[in-house]
Amino acid sequence: MERAMAAEEGRLAPLQALSEGLTGAVERVARSVVALHARARIPSSAVVWREGIVVAAHHTVKRDDDIRVTLADGGDARASVVGRDPSTDLVVLRLSDGAKAAPAEIARDTPRVGQLALAVGRPGSDGPTASLGVVSAVGPSWRTWAGGEIDSFVRLDLAIYDGFSGGALVDASGRVLGINSSTLARGLAVTVPAVTVERVTAQLLEKGRVERGYLGLAMHPVRVGAASAARLELRHDRGLLVAQVAPDSPADRAGVLVGDVIVAAEGRPVDDLDDLLALLAAERVGTSAGLRVVRGGTLVEVPVTIGARPQRGE
Amino acid sequence: MHPFFLDDASAALAERLRRVTVRLSGRGWNGAGSGVVWRHDGLIVTNAHVARGPAMTVALYDGRELTGRVAWRSRSMDLAAVQVDARDLLAAGTADARSLRPGALVFAMGAPLGMADALAVGVVHGTPTLDRAGRPLLVRADIRLLPGNSGGPLVDAEGRVIGINSMVVNGLGVAVATEAVEGWLQRLAHARAA
Repeated sequence: MERAMAAEEGRLAPLQALSEGLTGAVERVARSVVALHARARIPSSAVVWREGIVVAAHHTVKRDDDIRVTLADGGDARASVVGRDPSTDLVVLRLSDGAKAAPAEIARDTPRVGQLALAVGRPGSDGPTASLGVVSAVGPSWRTWAGGEIDSFVRLDLAIYDGFSGGALVDASGRVLGINSSTLARGLAVTVPAVTVERVTAQLLEKGRVERGYLGLAMHPVRVGAASAARLELRHDRGLLVAQVAPDSPADRAGVLVGDVIVAAEGRPVDDLDDLLALLAAERVGTSAGLRVVRGGTLVEVPVTIGARPQRGE
Repeated sequence: MHPFFLDDASAALAERLRRVTVRLSGRGWNGAGSGVVWRHDGLIVTNAHVARGPAMTVALYDGRELTGRVAWRSRSMDLAAVQVDARDLLAAGTADARSLRPGALVFAMGAPLGMADALAVGVVHGTPTLDRAGRPLLVRADIRLLPGNSGGPLVDAEGRVIGINSMVVNGLGVAVATEAVEGWLQRLAHARAA
């Protein structure tokens, strides 16, 4: 009888080992996950990314200065915003001097489909919180609805609770795979991969902003019509109708008019806004791009010098 | 670790859980859910919102169906004690919720949507919330619970009961901690003795 009980205990050992592994992973990263008190109701999570630097989800941080931070050891610190990148839902903050917070261990590899992953947050002073799931899809680089470039699309099969956004996604050994966000992909649980966080953080620390190209246009996808496309010898009949030109913007200075239909950029056909946004990477600022537009029934080439997107308040 | 061992372990755990989980049904719609065999002499613990009438039908894992008398109910704790006439039951082992750490594996068994002995897996979400005396009161778990899970066991990776599944709050499964159940039963025993 006793032997049977012992055998039974032994059968459960793998579950206990897994459970120990998961709690260990949570404990390891929790030393670097802090709570920010920068919005009404519940505090939000943030990750100590470098010495004295924390990264959080932009949409959860409603103030810029004198933000109270609850550290992993329960102590209090202050932080202020260094810079924000709403397009990737990231904000970088600097902790006040002397705040004791160990930087997280960052995973350098890309997340893999099927990999166990834990979302670890700290939505207040009652200790860390965890939820378990898997990386459910990993895709190529993608552009968020706000125009941000994210190095790979990492979708999670994992429940979203209070404190998810701004928290860490960690692998089974507690290394950080990314910063979680619930707002970047229509409420799906996604993580901004570590490589993107690193790139955006470096830019924000250096310049206080993430530079992006800017034309100053509001556009809407339209069909030119098969007959017009044939007459103009266009390979396809789609384009972007210019609905608005911002005064004194790069597009304005280049002579783009309301009513123009942009059918190609840099010689490549333009179907939707993404095709044009692809031109607006930071390294294109100051360079020239050739737009081909349909204006009054004829094709016109319009060279535009890509500008830098103005910050709010500029 | 070979994945087979993990499979085998969770199957063993499910079987262990099945033996200490009971299905409770009342007359008509008057409550239906799960319960936990708390003592071998016929004490079943469930939620107050499951045990609504004066008596419930208690279905055991071995096919027996017994009549249970709802001995005590506490709406504020959402707990009920149901007594069946049996002395040979296999009682659930219990563990302190106090030692639970976020990320620890947990399992729930119950009758979600009437399906008997259905298993769910998840992890501890945060440290348990405490009562005014500093004892664990509620365990929050990242686990998917459905209505028929009410009153059933939430167990750790060793199959020990850490709480009675009671509600879902903002998507989180919430269980009344074992310590709170024991404290309630002790207070009842004192009240009876007095």
